[in-house]
Amino acid sequence: MLKRMLWLAILVAAGATWSACDEKLSTLAGPTPNLAPTFSTIQRDIFESTDSAGRQACTLCHTSTGRNPSGGMNLNHDVAYEQIVNAAVRGKPGAIRVVPGDPDNSYLIQKLEGAASIAGRQMPINGPYLENGQILIIRRWIANGAPRN
Amino acid sequence: MTRVFARWTAVLGLGFLVLAPSVARAQSDDPAALKLAEPDFTLIALPTSLRLPRFGSAFRVTHRFTRSLTEGSFGDVAQDLFGIDAGAVIGLEYRFGIIRNGQIGIHRTGNRTIEFFGQYDLMRQGARAPFEISALVTIDGTNNFRDSYSPAVGAIVSRTFHDTAALYVEPIWVNNTNALPRELVDHNDTFMIGVGARIRVRPTVYVVGEITPRAAGNRPGVNQGGFALEKRAGGHTFQVNFSNAFGTTMAQIARGGPRRLEGGDIKRDWYLGFNISRKFF
Repeated sequence: MLKRMLWLAILVAAGATWSACDEKLSTLAGPTPNLAPTFSTIQRDIFESTDSAGRQACTLCHTSTGRNPSGGMNLNHDVAYEQIVNAAVRGKPGAIRVVPGDPDNSYLIQKLEGAASIAGRQMPINGPYLENGQILIIRRWIANGAPRN
Repeated sequence: MTRVFARWTAVLGLGFLVLAPSVARAQSDDPAALKLAEPDFTLIALPTSLRLPRFGSAFRVTHRFTRSLTEGSFGDVAQDLFGIDAGAVIGLEYRFGIIRNGQIGIHRTGNRTIEFFGQYDLMRQGARAPFEISALVTIDGTNNFRDSYSPAVGAIVSRTFHDTAALYVEPIWVNNTNALPRELVDHNDTFMIGVGARIRVRPTVYVVGEITPRAAGNRPGVNQGGFALEKRAGGHTFQVNFSNAFGTTMAQIARGGPRRLEGGDIKRDWYLGFNISRKFF
């Protein structure tokens, strides 16, 4: 009986340890702790929100509300997905904003990381820029096929 | 390719353990008795199934010099005394026989990783059993066990041949081997199969080898492997080893060794190291 209880305790302890071992996504996401590799959280926490690190919401400029969207890219809630996934870049012929499954060749990532090949300047313009963890999460969403989730 | 290599390594290792001529013989039941074919609790980094007497203990210090022996000319390497002038990843380990056939221990490496481990001997090699099986449970945590915990479970299957040699096959599953959260990676666990041997070439001198191919999951870098020359002196064991990685905890082994790109080719680095262990029983 004592031996069974010991094994049970070991199994419970192992299970508890196991579930607590993974790194926390919220730690990596920094000023947007609820950010996950899903389109809905990217839309909410990156495109539409100014975060605690001072990064401005993308929709301050990329909107059709009261102005023409910068770069011809409208990130308003109901049109953002069609505006970025498999969408051509206006200022750089041949470039695609989000190539599902291919974050390296997605122009959105290149603009956020400030790659040497981009036209114009790194986004958000004048910074503060996204943190590496935030970009990693967006990269993962694209690597997953950029689903509308 | 690595996966195929890992499978074949495991199949050949297990096959040899099971099918090898029946030179195995019943061993002394006294865990304090010297096992000439298995004098120490580890090979190079992988554990052995050597039992620790109840309330007995053992200490081990590991050194892995971080200067690659394959970088630069022979003269460059010799000038650095084959890596000894460079820094080293140092490990300190203490293990204690807590119950009959069971031991627990702690291992801390110089990069502030602490590993706790436990091992229990489930089956002894003897007239009815061709090999010995021990269960292994470990958990290591970086930053002095405050960050990034990686638990592991595994088995140590071993067979000794007279007083001459011991062979090991060690399937081990390690959780959380990737530094990124599981939401951002394809694999966060590693399943590896350690294979190793110790051969007694002189009454107190051994040649040791091990390799740990990763069969599935997260497999960065190169599979850890190494070889060593070892001298037993009373309760001490002195080992000089050459390995392609610095890992001495299960998660470190699972993460593999460094991989250097040179002109588009992957270069394996080799490092000098040593282990010194001392039994207190």
